[in-house]
Amino acid sequence: MSARNRELLALIPASLLVTLGFAAIFIQRNELLSNVSLTYGGIFLGLCFVAHLVIRFTLPYADPYLFPLVAVLACFGLVVIYRIDDVLARDQAQWFVIGLIAFVATIFLLRDFRVLERYRYTIALAGLALLLLPRVPGIGQQVNGAYLGVGIGPVSFQPAELGKIAIVIFLAAYLRDTRQVLVQGSRRFLGVTIPPFKHLGPLLVVWGAAMFMLVFIRDLGSSLMYFGAFLALIYVATNRLSFVVIGLGMFAAGAYFFASTVGHVQDRIDVWLNPFAPGLYDAEGGSYQIANGMFAMADGGLFGRGLGAAVLRVPDGGPLIPAPETDMIYAVIVNDLGLVGGLGVIATYMLIAERGFKIATLAADSFSKLLATGLTAVMALQVFVIVGGVTRVIPLTGVTLPFVSYGGSSIVANFILLALLLLISNRARTPA
Amino acid sequence: MELEPISVALKFGFLAVLYLFLLWVARSALKDLRRGAEPAYSGPSADYDEGATGMYSASTPMARDIGRPKLRVDIAAGLAAGSAYDLSEGALLGRGDQADIRLEDGFASSKHARLTPQGDVMVLEDLGSTNGTYLNEEPLRGPQPLHAGDKIRIGDSVFSYER
Repeated sequence: MSARNRELLALIPASLLVTLGFAAIFIQRNELLSNVSLTYGGIFLGLCFVAHLVIRFTLPYADPYLFPLVAVLACFGLVVIYRIDDVLARDQAQWFVIGLIAFVATIFLLRDFRVLERYRYTIALAGLALLLLPRVPGIGQQVNGAYLGVGIGPVSFQPAELGKIAIVIFLAAYLRDTRQVLVQGSRRFLGVTIPPFKHLGPLLVVWGAAMFMLVFIRDLGSSLMYFGAFLALIYVATNRLSFVVIGLGMFAAGAYFFASTVGHVQDRIDVWLNPFAPGLYDAEGGSYQIANGMFAMADGGLFGRGLGAAVLRVPDGGPLIPAPETDMIYAVIVNDLGLVGGLGVIATYMLIAERGFKIATLAADSFSKLLATGLTAVMALQVFVIVGGVTRVIPLTGVTLPFVSYGGSSIVANFILLALLLLISNRARTPA
Repeated sequence: MELEPISVALKFGFLAVLYLFLLWVARSALKDLRRGAEPAYSGPSADYDEGATGMYSASTPMARDIGRPKLRVDIAAGLAAGSAYDLSEGALLGRGDQADIRLEDGFASSKHARLTPQGDVMVLEDLGSTNGTYLNEEPLRGPQPLHAGDKIRIGDSVFSYER
């Protein structure tokens, strides 16, 4: 079976999930078995089929599983957001279509994605500007203490989502040039390779940028995401574990320092460590959200309450979990589908990461290898940051769950990321 | 009509479809892993692989066009003078068993020095030997890139680098 036929076949279970999900919610809500769910599944299959045709004609050798895996995640997003709020789901469906258009446009515009390497500094500047935009007075928006959103009139978006792609492109291009230099001149000490101090320069700069983000953007999650992706890239570029060890140590030290000195970071840590403390639970911006998320996940048990069956609102009408459609969507999924459903979502992300790193190993030139690694790593780390935050592994920060969370900029940016991965894959797997 | 059983069935149906799909994808991923790198798709110079990241196999294929780097024995106990070693995959010099080029020299440490190709330069690095490595009769401090004609001395053994 050819790669493209496999991809087409894999889209069928993804669409079936849409139908099953909507059917379950209709029953839960209206006590009726409606064939509208079949229509929704059909529309979803149709949209995916169009994207599949584009891939079939433009990227015939690209990885066959990435797109269906993403379709499954998008299905989770649509079903669970519909279950939270119909109006939001309609928006999300529109954003899904816009995301697919961005996906197709990226494929057509960047047929030879290596031109990106030439514009590395322009891209880096654009990426930094996007990251800092939320702090510009007048258009910046503060959500839950972190500056992540930008609002111009009625349109609001999260520039960091696009910024992450720009930063990864720059780092891949930069490390492709400098990796030779970075491995030269290291000493061995107690069996560990120590890079000379001057080669720690780039590491220090990126570490500084990550710490700056932590304090200035007030977001531990994003800074962990960018710094982690950088470490993954530098490891692949130099094959030296010492960079990763030194980098992690520096990040831990910096994060510890700011957690104990900067007020808002400290608050986050308190909420993370003691979500059930009565004072924090009732406080404004306290641990209400994370504690209720934990309760909701516990309520889900092994197989969950069933799609649409979990309680989302407290009796007086307020939300049981604040921001259920964005930050806390993973808690809602686990409440509805249980541990098994939550693990299914994580397994989907793990398979996407596996496909992404596979693309990196197959790629022939260094820039493609580094770009595929970076894009995969940044997405995988984003999943870790938000799922880890919701499940109280690390302090909660508001990044989106890629392809699942409600939010236009997240969907569009992640579809562009997917398009880049498929472009690299197609180039790497084209038989000579 | 009682819809409760249908609702439960749908929940488990949803999970079953999800997991069957994931298993199918994972199975092909496992197949990929067992097969190792698919030779048909691998890069232009993927027949040698250094390091887990596979990054060096993707480096410039130019190194081969210049000519293979060699280490020629000038004087060395136990090695035929004038013979040459291929360095295209690097080499470990020393007295120990793991060494690629075994030195029967009292002044050599078991892992004395390493030659590592990095792109199209060859880098000589002392591995913390007791008596040191000399490049063109100067003690080696830190790794050094080699040029054709450089003399490497370890104890009483002398080699010259060629490419």
